[in-house]
Amino acid sequence: MRPDSATSIGVGMFILLGLGSVLFLVTQTLSMNRISASGTYALQARFDHIGNLKVRAPVSLAGVTIGRVTKITVDASQYRAVVEMRIDSKFDNLPVDTDASIATTGLLGGKYVELNPGMEEIALQDQDEIELTQSAVRLENLIGKYMLKSPGDK
Amino acid sequence: MSRALRECWLSFGQFAATFGGFQLFSLRLLPYVPKSLLRPGLISEQIYSLGALSLVLIMFGGLFVGLVLALQSYNTLVEFGSTDSLGAFASEALVRELGPVVAALLFAGRAGSAVASEVGLMRATDQIAALELMAVDPIQRIVVPRFIGGAVSVPLLAAIFSAMGVLGAYLVGVHLLGVDAGAFWSQIQDRVDAYEDVGVGLMKSFVFGVSASLMGVFEGFYAAPTAEGVSRAATRTVVITSVWILLLDFIITGMTLPEV
Amino acid sequence: MIKVYAASPENLVEIRDVHYQRGDRSVFRGLSLDIPRGSVTAIMGPSGTGKTTLLNLVTGQLNPDDGVVLFDGRVVCPCSRRRLYEVRRKMGVLFQSGALLSNLSVFENVAFPLREHTRLPEELVRQIVLMKLHSVGLRGAWQHMPAQLSGGMARRVALARALVMDPELIIYDEPFTGLDPISMGVIVRLIRHTNDALGITSIVVTHDVAETHELADLSYLLSDGKVVARGSPQELQRDQNDTVRQFMQGLADGPVPFHFPGPEYTEQLQAMAQA
Repeated sequence: MRPDSATSIGVGMFILLGLGSVLFLVTQTLSMNRISASGTYALQARFDHIGNLKVRAPVSLAGVTIGRVTKITVDASQYRAVVEMRIDSKFDNLPVDTDASIATTGLLGGKYVELNPGMEEIALQDQDEIELTQSAVRLENLIGKYMLKSPGDK
Repeated sequence: MSRALRECWLSFGQFAATFGGFQLFSLRLLPYVPKSLLRPGLISEQIYSLGALSLVLIMFGGLFVGLVLALQSYNTLVEFGSTDSLGAFASEALVRELGPVVAALLFAGRAGSAVASEVGLMRATDQIAALELMAVDPIQRIVVPRFIGGAVSVPLLAAIFSAMGVLGAYLVGVHLLGVDAGAFWSQIQDRVDAYEDVGVGLMKSFVFGVSASLMGVFEGFYAAPTAEGVSRAATRTVVITSVWILLLDFIITGMTLPEV
Repeated sequence: MIKVYAASPENLVEIRDVHYQRGDRSVFRGLSLDIPRGSVTAIMGPSGTGKTTLLNLVTGQLNPDDGVVLFDGRVVCPCSRRRLYEVRRKMGVLFQSGALLSNLSVFENVAFPLREHTRLPEELVRQIVLMKLHSVGLRGAWQHMPAQLSGGMARRVALARALVMDPELIIYDEPFTGLDPISMGVIVRLIRHTNDALGITSIVVTHDVAETHELADLSYLLSDGKVVARGSPQELQRDQNDTVRQFMQGLADGPVPFHFPGPEYTEQLQAMAQA
């Protein structure tokens, strides 16, 4: 049937409002790094312990997110965790002796991978492995360490 | 005691029969959908009466859920000193869960029952029979446009609900509880993922919308042609839709939670 | 064994040896009747004899368990939805309640079949609709909504709608029920007038003996799933058969008993006293 003008306006406004809401939600949640037009490349690193690092955790350089953790698996032969990540292709000059450590956001926050660039001239390529790694610092170990140091030792 | 058990067993049987009939009905609808899209006027009418007219309810609902969510979570977060994450926490809950589920439940209550009563009344006053005799397929003309209207409206309503919720959380969090506005919005951007969280929420709400609409038209179409039958159809719609949505939500959430 | 049915050309509808069961109750056991072309045929009977079921068999909404229903020489069957609809386009049905679509105006309701089945230009649709509304005397009410109409008016609009596609057969399901004498007079006049002016065939299902007298060319009286009388209304009036007489004269007791079947009075009193 032919909808009358009131209905048409109502429907139009409703749909606009709905799409507007979707747009709002998407723009508020989209981190700019994700939509990098230049694409990404893969790196991996092995750790003795990853703490509670999760997939999608950020990979950051000097505190700025330049990538995301994409996969976490275990290497049964080496008994180490294998963390795969994707780095924004804009940052293609990470030296081969860059080290990757697992840090914590805040005191009780989630874990993320912090990259510390090295000095070498040669850069890491797609599918390369970061050799230098530091495992997650576990709070309980830290506390234990300080507790063992009795007030007597200085 | 045994009588109560027997009643339970019978209603389970009824549920199974209804469920089976429902599946068949849904399959019967599918081939009509493409043709129905050729009459956008009918669909647009339904989007108006099911979606646009539910706006007030949804917007209020979203706003207040957001307000309450912010209040409640602040309570917990303040103990850990993580009140900055208020925005992210509330938004994620809204976009992934509360938006799709609550909006769908509200829709079932308001629009689902309305559709069931409307179609049921048409059944009771012989309008459906009249259509058949006028060689107009009532499924094509009456049922499918309502189904499509609902399926399209619910995702939009869920998005509006979530957006209003985030706004509500912002109002309470920043202007009432003193959370830093910058932290509020930036944490959201950091922690809530557009594809995973918003995307999952939209997908859920689409599935809920299809289910809720289908159940509403089904109950109405097969309602007993009496006044009692119509009112029973309306209440049954709300009950089975609500239960089904909550069940589906559990399943989908389980399937889409990121690896822990 | 394949039964062959040859239709007589003077009958628009033929019902041959139809058996129909609902649940474990057999509604028709070998029912046969003819509806001659161009006539107003009345089908009467006490409540519950299956008059409405009969209508459903004619329109193809129900399928006989045995026997056949012929319309215009062809079997009414649910072979395919499309074929069924083709047959139905030649029929108009007037429901007891009118069954107008409640969200459309009077005009839109009458225009509905035209808009659904034809691609006539709007100008032509308007002329046809107003013409049909005029013939039922409701042209002035074209903008009203069904909820604003009285029962009689709603039925008249439904009649206009049933006529809009110029059907060959019109079926009236209890058209006189619940109407005041004036409205009843209107409907009677409309049924007769329409039938004669348009050269169509009408079937009127009713239990209104008085109205049928004025209106029908041919009457059938159904009872117990069979035809118990057939003839002009005057012939039925003179029929001496007990069943026919009880119906035509409205006698409280007779072949259709006054008392609902049950145990003997004294037996029931004693049984209930002991319980």
